[in-house]
Amino acid sequence: MLSRVAYSLYWMSRYMERSDGILRLLRVNYAYSQDEYKQLSWRPVLRIFSTMKPADKIKIQYQSRTVLKFMIANKENQNSVLNLISNARENARSVQDNVTKELWQCLNEYYHQIRQNHVEISLHKDDPISVIDSLVTRGMHYYGTFEITMARSEGYYFMNIGKYLERAIQSVDILDVKFSEVDYSLEETTDPTYWKFLLLSISGYELFLKSYRSALDSTNILNQIIWNDNFPRSIIYSVNRLQKSFETLKSDKNSESYKALSRMIGRLESDIRYTGIKDLHEHGLKHYLHKIKKELFAIADAFNLYYFAFK
Amino acid sequence: MNTNQLFNAYPTDSKVWDEMFSSTEVREPYKRILHFLNQLSGDELNQKEEMARRLFMSQGVTFTVYSSGEGIEKIFPFDIIPRIITSTEWEFIEKGIKQRLKALNLFLNDIYSNQFILKDKIIPIDMIYSCEHYLREMHNLKVPNNIFVHISGIDIIRDTDGTFYVLEDNLRTPSGVSYMLENREITKRIFPDLLPQNFVKPVNDYPQILYKNLAALSPRHNSNPNIVMLTPGIYNSAYFEHSTLARLMGIELVEGRDLVVDSHRVFMKTTRGLVRVDVIYRRVDDEFLDPLIFNSDSMLGVAGLMSAYRKGHVAIVNAPGNGVADDKATYIYVPDMIKYYLNEEPILKNVPTYKLDDPNQREHVFKNIENMVIKKTDASGGYGMIIGNAASQQEIIDYKKVVVENPRKFIAQPIINLSSSPCYIQGKLQPRRIDLRPFALFGKNEIEIVPGGLTRVALKEGSLVVNSSQGGGSKDTWVINDKI
Repeated sequence: MLSRVAYSLYWMSRYMERSDGILRLLRVNYAYSQDEYKQLSWRPVLRIFSTMKPADKIKIQYQSRTVLKFMIANKENQNSVLNLISNARENARSVQDNVTKELWQCLNEYYHQIRQNHVEISLHKDDPISVIDSLVTRGMHYYGTFEITMARSEGYYFMNIGKYLERAIQSVDILDVKFSEVDYSLEETTDPTYWKFLLLSISGYELFLKSYRSALDSTNILNQIIWNDNFPRSIIYSVNRLQKSFETLKSDKNSESYKALSRMIGRLESDIRYTGIKDLHEHGLKHYLHKIKKELFAIADAFNLYYFAFK
Repeated sequence: MNTNQLFNAYPTDSKVWDEMFSSTEVREPYKRILHFLNQLSGDELNQKEEMARRLFMSQGVTFTVYSSGEGIEKIFPFDIIPRIITSTEWEFIEKGIKQRLKALNLFLNDIYSNQFILKDKIIPIDMIYSCEHYLREMHNLKVPNNIFVHISGIDIIRDTDGTFYVLEDNLRTPSGVSYMLENREITKRIFPDLLPQNFVKPVNDYPQILYKNLAALSPRHNSNPNIVMLTPGIYNSAYFEHSTLARLMGIELVEGRDLVVDSHRVFMKTTRGLVRVDVIYRRVDDEFLDPLIFNSDSMLGVAGLMSAYRKGHVAIVNAPGNGVADDKATYIYVPDMIKYYLNEEPILKNVPTYKLDDPNQREHVFKNIENMVIKKTDASGGYGMIIGNAASQQEIIDYKKVVVENPRKFIAQPIINLSSSPCYIQGKLQPRRIDLRPFALFGKNEIEIVPGGLTRVALKEGSLVVNSSQGGGSKDTWVINDKI
């Protein structure tokens, strides 16, 4: 496969994963804001997904609709869902012959839907959840079409690499921001509702109840989001999938590149797997999360260097 | 809406050949579809039109217009009423195009080697050497199977009395074939069952024929040659076509930056290292192909490509240098070429054309300018032309001035009343002018033309310019069997 094509597929997939993550987070946060008697701050959401200046974040942190419009339909915000979908589509367009026609149509329809003016208008005056749901459904349509129609060849695996790398980064980011709001404390003093909505926003609440019964404390939260092999948004699951997809790229023709990346991914995977809550108490959660994030970024850089270097 | 409303107001013009209506009645090949249309209400027709628009949009059959930093998606306008050609008419057109291409291909072989046609003074030498698209780099270069014009689009028009003429030969990188294929797909959706009922000949084997021809050019004799399609990239207005054809043939779509030349061989950069390329179907113009030989600023081409080509390590389709044969000044001599190379009478006529570097002809043209079209010899897409009866006095004066400065660059033709065809516009049928671009594939053993081609429509009332860049649209084109 052409390096340029692999690069475009990888980014298309990352943008789609990111847009899905953002939409789910926004949906739950908005619902939460309707539930609370005290005002809910959108600052953590803005911290995870936007490069807005801190002062501006504080300015709009209590204005749900302004934040929703900014995060979904704003053209200036490079991480708005609108721009992410446009980017994903632009990437797909440049490699149209390498994705199935169905998948291309799916992205194309999503793009045309989100570009309509009434998205922004509805976010301003109607029920935002309906708007977000209709977009999330588009995303699900994309994921389904991706799984059902794409041939299990290199392109598919590069897309998976993008998807799981992005997901791992997101999960680390979400933990980082949410825990930084409580000073990375591992003590069990935080309001359980706070954790409940965190889990809801990454579709992990039901699994959590089944796995840990009802104890909504920070230890169980970390267990679920970092180490739960059965939770599709946990860091270990994402890294594991990343590793599996990567292993399919092995061939005689690129053994050097393969070895270099294989070592990095393998090291990260075991590092996560063989760390426990006890180690976090010893070395600090903040340090640990930042270390994982740094390694994920290093893996992304290595892909650029070894697999996508077409310049 | 009943028949009367749909058709009553249909204006006919005795100076224009209408494809559906003769002065007295509906032409035979259109009777069946007209009967079908008559059974539909206005709402149903509008729904079909809307459905076609939606299908184009969701399939991304669009081109992008960039304004104020933002891309706006436009669909290439599609008229739902098909244009019909009978198989008798088609056989005539097909024979004419094949004859013409044979001669043009012989001309290119000749002009880049022995130049007998110049030595025998059939074509003036200075006309060739003054042509910008004549490439000295192609001289004595042996092209595979002696084919230069692998893919061509010959534009055919119809005058007042229904005679077919060749308006233009497009032998470089003609586009539009993807619209021919898509238009047919859309018709299948909006008019179920109508195609088989009308015995319409299928067009969908175009990609397979093209693939077979490309594979036959591979310099390496292996069973699975590596064929790529070279595109300028997503900002090119024909990008949709490039990706569609690549997909339909199952070949890799590459950009210049994906390729590299090493030891006069072309390779593509993949995730598993360099992979040798055998055949390049390029949709990049000659001058951008190789920055070492042509335009040195080009980012679209590949450095060293021409040397690999010259050594025969890679095939390029179409061959570089074809522009000398579809230059509008060369066009004048195509009937002579047919006689010279084939010893045959031309089947398809040329539109009478005046050379403006001949003072007598120029004077004649300027005197009768209100009946003339003047065109630049090296332009296409409907750019750089002036239509005598549609331009203002000032525009004509200015244009004449430019012509006199460099008359070699211009030709003139009498204004041809392109035939009209009914289009569904604003709830009723209205006549609009059309042309036809059949796509011919020149293979090792034969020339193949899928029946039909792209019918382009000038959607503006009264307009004679069908180019998509000038507000043109298209129709599905049916060649129907009239011999059953």
